[in-house]
Amino acid sequence: MNALVWLIPVAIGLGAVFVFLFLSAVKSGQFDDLEDPPRRILHDDD
Amino acid sequence: MPPRSADLARCPHCGAAVEGPEDAFCCNGCEAAYAIIRGAGLERYYRERETWAPRPEPGSGGWEAVPVETGDDGTCAVRLQVDGLRCASCVWVTEHVLQRRPGVEEAHVSYATGRATLRWRPEETELAELADTIQALGYRPRLLGEEARPDRSLLVRLGVATFAALNVMLLSASLYAGWLGGMEERFRLLFQWASLALATPVALWAASPFFVGAWSGLRRGFLHMDLPISLAVAVLYGHGVVVTFTGSGDAYLDSLTMLVALLLAGRVLEGHGRRRAAEAATSLAATLPSTGRRFLPDGGTETVPSSELTAGDRVAVGAGEEFPADGVVVAGSGSVRTALLTGESRPVEVETGQRVYGGTYLVDGAVEVQVTAAGEESTVARMAGGLRDAADSPGRPTSADRIAPWFTAGTLVAATVTLLGWGLTAGWESALTATVAVLVVACPCALALSHPLAAAAGLGAAARRGLLLRSPDPLLAMASVDAVALDKTGTVTEGTLEVLEADDATLRIAAGLERFSRHPVALAVVREAVRRRIPLPKARRVREQPGQGIGGEVDGKEWHLGAAGPGTVALEGPGGRVGIIRLGDQIRSDAPEAVAALEALGLGVHLLTGDHRDVAERVARETGIGHWQAEMSPDEKAAQVRGRREAGERVLFAGDGLNDGPALSEADVGVAFGTGAASSILVADGVVGLPSLSPVLAGIRAGRAAQRVIFVNQLRSIVYNVAAVGLAAAGWVNPLVAAILMPLSSGLVIAGAAGVEGRVQRMEGGSGGPTRKPTTVDRASQGAVGGAGIEPDPGAHGMGGSNEASDPGKRDAGKGDPGKHDHGENDPGKGDPGEEAA
Repeated sequence: MNALVWLIPVAIGLGAVFVFLFLSAVKSGQFDDLEDPPRRILHDDD
Repeated sequence: MPPRSADLARCPHCGAAVEGPEDAFCCNGCEAAYAIIRGAGLERYYRERETWAPRPEPGSGGWEAVPVETGDDGTCAVRLQVDGLRCASCVWVTEHVLQRRPGVEEAHVSYATGRATLRWRPEETELAELADTIQALGYRPRLLGEEARPDRSLLVRLGVATFAALNVMLLSASLYAGWLGGMEERFRLLFQWASLALATPVALWAASPFFVGAWSGLRRGFLHMDLPISLAVAVLYGHGVVVTFTGSGDAYLDSLTMLVALLLAGRVLEGHGRRRAAEAATSLAATLPSTGRRFLPDGGTETVPSSELTAGDRVAVGAGEEFPADGVVVAGSGSVRTALLTGESRPVEVETGQRVYGGTYLVDGAVEVQVTAAGEESTVARMAGGLRDAADSPGRPTSADRIAPWFTAGTLVAATVTLLGWGLTAGWESALTATVAVLVVACPCALALSHPLAAAAGLGAAARRGLLLRSPDPLLAMASVDAVALDKTGTVTEGTLEVLEADDATLRIAAGLERFSRHPVALAVVREAVRRRIPLPKARRVREQPGQGIGGEVDGKEWHLGAAGPGTVALEGPGGRVGIIRLGDQIRSDAPEAVAALEALGLGVHLLTGDHRDVAERVARETGIGHWQAEMSPDEKAAQVRGRREAGERVLFAGDGLNDGPALSEADVGVAFGTGAASSILVADGVVGLPSLSPVLAGIRAGRAAQRVIFVNQLRSIVYNVAAVGLAAAGWVNPLVAAILMPLSSGLVIAGAAGVEGRVQRMEGGSGGPTRKPTTVDRASQGAVGGAGIEPDPGAHGMGGSNEASDPGKRDAGKGDPGKHDHGENDPGKGDPGEEAA
């Protein structure tokens, strides 16, 4: 059970890493246009 | 690939049939486009395209004078709106041709909106070269201004709040488990402090839009829905801080974070609609040409950016060019296509002394214009500005906002009663606990979500069926309309000219003459010839005279094609008249079905048109519309709508032209057609993006479904809140109960909103209403706002709607004059006058 004392912060820290990744994805504009990329995938094969 | 026939030579690019092997291409433009595409190694386009390519036309040019800034990395970048893209393959080929030009760093064309982003090295190529390439392919580039960056902060807040909510929920679940099995003190402290650490950024930062909303509402003197939300967030967080620091109880931090995350998700959904309207504004602002040719004192001309023009300047405008600013014609004459303003595709004659508007298009002739208003002052720019303002202004208070004051008052009363009731009977400590519980469960989370989520689902259901609405308000107004008034041309009918009757020989000669013309009659004639697979003959020495028709040499003989009465053009050869072509406007194929479905919903359907009585009667009969009025002026249409409203009816008006503007703004809900005038789109609440009438019906169904769901959801959430406040006041609510109850109520609301689409489908199934394949609708609806983007109908390429197209023979008719058929009498025709005036 003592492991919880450091496992909980580690788990939250890991989560925070993914939040950071999400934030950088938002900042790089990946969520700005949700309509074009799904169409594009059907045509970009070269 | 479009069909090919062995005995027929077809232009490999645009698909028009042509005579003789040496005429493999129908025109030089197609040949050049073909060469560009082959030269770029993109022949694949011809195998994969879904429709024939448009025929390239010469553009306005003048791109050399567009100011382009060079960025820090030594490259230049612009954003363009590309008009005329018909299909995904068009986008693909445009993008790839541009990418393979030397010097191009980046070329990106959106499949959804037809917007292009270009970046190039100025020492190797220039904007003019790239724009001319797009033009040579048959598409029309327009310069776009800076676009407002989409608001990403809400998404960031949502991400952080969701992360915190899920983690706090996990920690709280452990704490609740600890109630049963016991828990070591140090673990309890660890979990509580970790929860507080996670909840702090949520309460203080992620939830700030609600505090801002509540505060700005208070300053304007009205109790916004954000107020009780802010109150709950503040109480929840304050309570959490106190109990964590003092170690004296259980916090509601899991409820807090989950609540903020759910509310932010609702906000993100709401934000999408606003962005659409802003995009429509940018597209429209781009309709002023980027440059104009200004006269110099010595009589020569210089090409300048249209933003540099000022009132008093004189500019030259030639055939095929757009007017760079509003002004008055001081010399020359020509015919102008004003579709942008009036929705009228037939050109209007202009001569000295007449007003012209920036963004309209000179079909033929050449004029000199004295500028009266340029740039931001021009009519088109001001219209776009109006749209942007409308998009920025806060929406009308929703039904949830109207409930908010009562809600807040009720919560405060319940809290006071609880505090006093417990304080006087059982001591102040348990009174405080119960009061906090009351304030917590009174949070109108579900109520605040009920409106935006169901409305967003309704907007989505309407958009998938081809109706784009500006905001949720008109959607809900559509739910309660009693009468639907329809304009005829471009609404009940296709609004484009079609050949109704012609023999093949006449059509062949006519198509040869009209092959290079952009006149609507010419388009209809050539389209019909292509449809009948009549090879286009070669014409020589073609002369097109405004108002006089077109003449030229085909098969070695001299011909002339000109107006011969309403809806008729006649072909005259060396020996006199050889044949006539009748043209007219076709009723939309889904119109009878849609009208029947509207009447089945219990709505009165009315046809209001400026056209002749006999035309109106025929259209009404063929579509099954019971009430019709003909020869109405724009003001009479508006008066008719106003009269019905004063009689207590709620009226939806659908129309497509500038002349429908008054009626569109007068009606409870105004719906414009995306192929019509930009001005009608501006005053309308929604835009139909398909060449079809059924989106109007779909909008009414979506509105009814959304309203029903909102009502049920609000009922549910109020019942929940009242019951939960009762429980809390009785002292039965602790953090665990709250953590179960609150997401449960929000979950019910979300599930209800998700049911909107299903309700609409059941309504469609019930009446067998017209439905379309979602893919088609989806593609078409994207480009429709502002008339930009991928065009849904290849036949509509380069054309606006056309009003009163039943009279196509007269090229020179005063089509810009909406009152033309208004003979000062309001004749309701064969309909019962009493009934019409009701």
